[in-house]
Amino acid sequence: MRRTAWILFAFALLLGMSPQIASAQAQWSLEGAGDITSISVAEDGSRVAIGSHGAKTYVYGSDGRPIFQAAANNVVNAVDLLADGTLLAASDDRHLYAYDASGSKLWDADLKRQVKSMSASRDGGVIALVVQRNNDLLFVDGKNGEQTNAVPIGTSMRFTKVAGNGEWIIVASGDQFVHLLDKTGKTLLRFGAGGQIQAIDISDAGMTAVGTKLGEVELFDAKGKALRKLKTRDMVSAVAFSKDGETVAVSDLSGYFYIFSPNGKKLWETKAGDTGRAVAFDAGGKTLYAGTDDGRVLQFDTGSVVAKAKSDARIRMLVWAIASVAALALIYVLLRMMKKNDKLGVFREIWRSKWVYLGLAPSFLLIFLFLYFPAFSGLFHSLYKWQPGGRTTFIGLDNFRRMIHDPYVTKGLGNLVILIVTGLAKSLIPPLIVAELIYHLRSKRMQYGFRTAFTASMVIPGVAGLLIWQNFYDPNLGLFNNFLELIGLGSWTHGWLGDPKTALWAIIFMGFPFVGILQLLVFYAGLLSISGELIESAKIDGASLPRIIRSIHLPLLAGQFKFLIILGLIGIIQDFNAIMIVTGGGPMDSTYVPALQMYYAATKFSDLGYASALGVSMFAIILVITIVNMKFIKSAED
Amino acid sequence: MWIRNLLHLRQLAIVLLLALLVFLTLVPILFMLFSSLKSNAQILGNFWGLPAPAKWANYQEAFASIWRYIVNTVIYAVAGSVCVMLLSAVSGYIFAKKTFPGKELLFMLMLVMMMVPGILTLIPSYVLYENLGLTNTPWVIIVSSAAGGQIFGTFLCRTFMSGLPSELFEAARMDGATETRVFFQVVVPLSLPIMATLFIMQSVGVYNDYVWPLLTIQDSRLQVIAVGLTIFTKQFGITDMGTQFAAYAISSVPLLLIFSFGMKYYIQGMTQGALKL
Repeated sequence: MRRTAWILFAFALLLGMSPQIASAQAQWSLEGAGDITSISVAEDGSRVAIGSHGAKTYVYGSDGRPIFQAAANNVVNAVDLLADGTLLAASDDRHLYAYDASGSKLWDADLKRQVKSMSASRDGGVIALVVQRNNDLLFVDGKNGEQTNAVPIGTSMRFTKVAGNGEWIIVASGDQFVHLLDKTGKTLLRFGAGGQIQAIDISDAGMTAVGTKLGEVELFDAKGKALRKLKTRDMVSAVAFSKDGETVAVSDLSGYFYIFSPNGKKLWETKAGDTGRAVAFDAGGKTLYAGTDDGRVLQFDTGSVVAKAKSDARIRMLVWAIASVAALALIYVLLRMMKKNDKLGVFREIWRSKWVYLGLAPSFLLIFLFLYFPAFSGLFHSLYKWQPGGRTTFIGLDNFRRMIHDPYVTKGLGNLVILIVTGLAKSLIPPLIVAELIYHLRSKRMQYGFRTAFTASMVIPGVAGLLIWQNFYDPNLGLFNNFLELIGLGSWTHGWLGDPKTALWAIIFMGFPFVGILQLLVFYAGLLSISGELIESAKIDGASLPRIIRSIHLPLLAGQFKFLIILGLIGIIQDFNAIMIVTGGGPMDSTYVPALQMYYAATKFSDLGYASALGVSMFAIILVITIVNMKFIKSAED
Repeated sequence: MWIRNLLHLRQLAIVLLLALLVFLTLVPILFMLFSSLKSNAQILGNFWGLPAPAKWANYQEAFASIWRYIVNTVIYAVAGSVCVMLLSAVSGYIFAKKTFPGKELLFMLMLVMMMVPGILTLIPSYVLYENLGLTNTPWVIIVSSAAGGQIFGTFLCRTFMSGLPSELFEAARMDGATETRVFFQVVVPLSLPIMATLFIMQSVGVYNDYVWPLLTIQDSRLQVIAVGLTIFTKQFGITDMGTQFAAYAISSVPLLLIFSFGMKYYIQGMTQGALKL
């Protein structure tokens, strides 16, 4: 009973770990905008500025009401809304524009080169620019746009970002390095990222997020120490910290948007459109604005998600604390009880056997990690939609429901029944016959010789054997068709594996004449263990050989039969090597088996949850067979 | 007299029947050996003919393309099998000769894992190794063979070692030998036959494994022979059937070696495993 409670408890914890889902509250389509290149949210959250590939800068109210738009002559690469309502827009038309809150132009600085990146502190005190073919980071005055400073970085730069409070400036260069500068432009340090940098951001506290082409966001602290990596599905296109630095928003080229906490936990993710381009939080971190490559800006209410994640974390910690207190109390009570019953000696014994446990430790470490864990993981994830590196959502029995309606599975089950029936016949009858034949040889040397000769087929690696058989069925070069032509049955030649009608039977026929070595040896050993006296007395009673086989050999081999049947069943249900190598399940679905469908679900379709469900189902069938068989054996022995 | 003749005839019939069955069983091997010496033209033109002239260059070409897979696999197999031997010997000895609290429970935990089929753990294991960063490294083969093989190995060793006389260990201990010394200088030497069985079964298992390496190893420089045989023709642009058969023949050499030295042990392991289950 207690165990059930613990399992439920563990389940509840695991459920709490799956990322939350929030839906887009509003979305605006920007006509003719193309790619959204950048988004900036005003400090009070009332306005959003959007830079687009369509050479325009848009300003919207947070309610989605357009306020104004300003045209540039080329792609707008970066926008920034300052606290006083000033809008800065940097463009490939080599200009940096500044507009006031009503949309009238304040100034327009001609920088002579395409402005690739621009960022400003919230008060506009620091404005940093990266321009094309210039290895200096430029600073301009927020009042008139005049250049105030140029800091040599020494290598071509891709992006720059100024922390909201203006204390930090970071620059990403083309050679995968990140340069951290203080507000005066003095380079503090330089650190490398794991891949080509696609996006950067820095929080007020100096934490840097670097999005790379490898589909990772790397987090560094203000001292340049790598903290952790956040995984995304595709190349990162944008990263943004919330104002408090407590959350990181990320977009990637697969169209997914994510929110992570800086300790690496994925709080939220969603897919919107084909490609995500830009992300920005409002000041409170309650709303996330996300831009796509088709000119849409989405507004997500993430405040509740983040808050929920935080409260979940608190609850989980509380639960853990209570649980550990409870566990300690339980241990204490247990110890008290043991002391009362004078059973504490067991600990002395355990301590005395400490070397024994140490000796077993490596074995059991491997067993728990690499056998128990995957087994439970499979059972657990069969109830989930499980995709590698991505979202794991609880879907109950949907995977199993889907299995019933999967035509490949139903077809595969039909094939499996055929394979089981023929497979059992193959694995029992020929080896039994051969065992009897060898048993009836008089010369011991001949017996040994034939046994060895049959086992000689083991020297071919399994896969090589399968490939040779595959070659036998080749329509032109294969042994079968050539043999048919040789004996004058040329009209029977056939593309054995290419025809859905014959493919399965061709696979079944592989390995002819089916003298399985294990089966042969088991039967042979069984025959040897039958006492000679029994046979002698039967002979004296005038029993013929067939009679001896029927009435003495077969009944006494019942144990061997049972063992080989169960082994055969387990093996056939699991095996898909032969089919995968020889036909790959085809032609069409003619040679599918459930195990093959499981493999394909995991490898071709990355649907690990469904694959786990198939695995669990086959496990259940095998378990039932084993249990039935064990009961059967027991009752037979009684 | 005629009874003797009949008996002789019957023996003769049995021998002939068995010989036919042996021949049919070995058809793939014979076919492989003949075809491996032919060129494509010879296979197409003179299918049933002997290879004339024998094209030994096939073997050269095949060896050049698959030696790497064979070396990889042999290394994985030996490393995995040594791990299995060590782990199984220690656990088997402890379960056979020691008494300690929780022995039954721990042994049950092992027993249960023998009941869990590979099909259930295949995909989750793959994800686990992937998350641990072990995929596409030799460890993914070695560790998984060590973890999986030691269960059966522990059973074999436990059975074998319970048959060893405990007095022997006692005597060694009386003489002042430490437990590790007893283990390495008394238990292990006495258990060499079962160790050989384990080693051979495990190596053959790794050598023949196909699905796990296919799933977990992408780098063709690390690939094993079973998968290598299915990809080398494409990889090296080999169109000669003869070369393919030569590759199959070469890939059999390690198995041939191990079986010619240890067939007895292999059969022992197979039948013992069969009886113990």
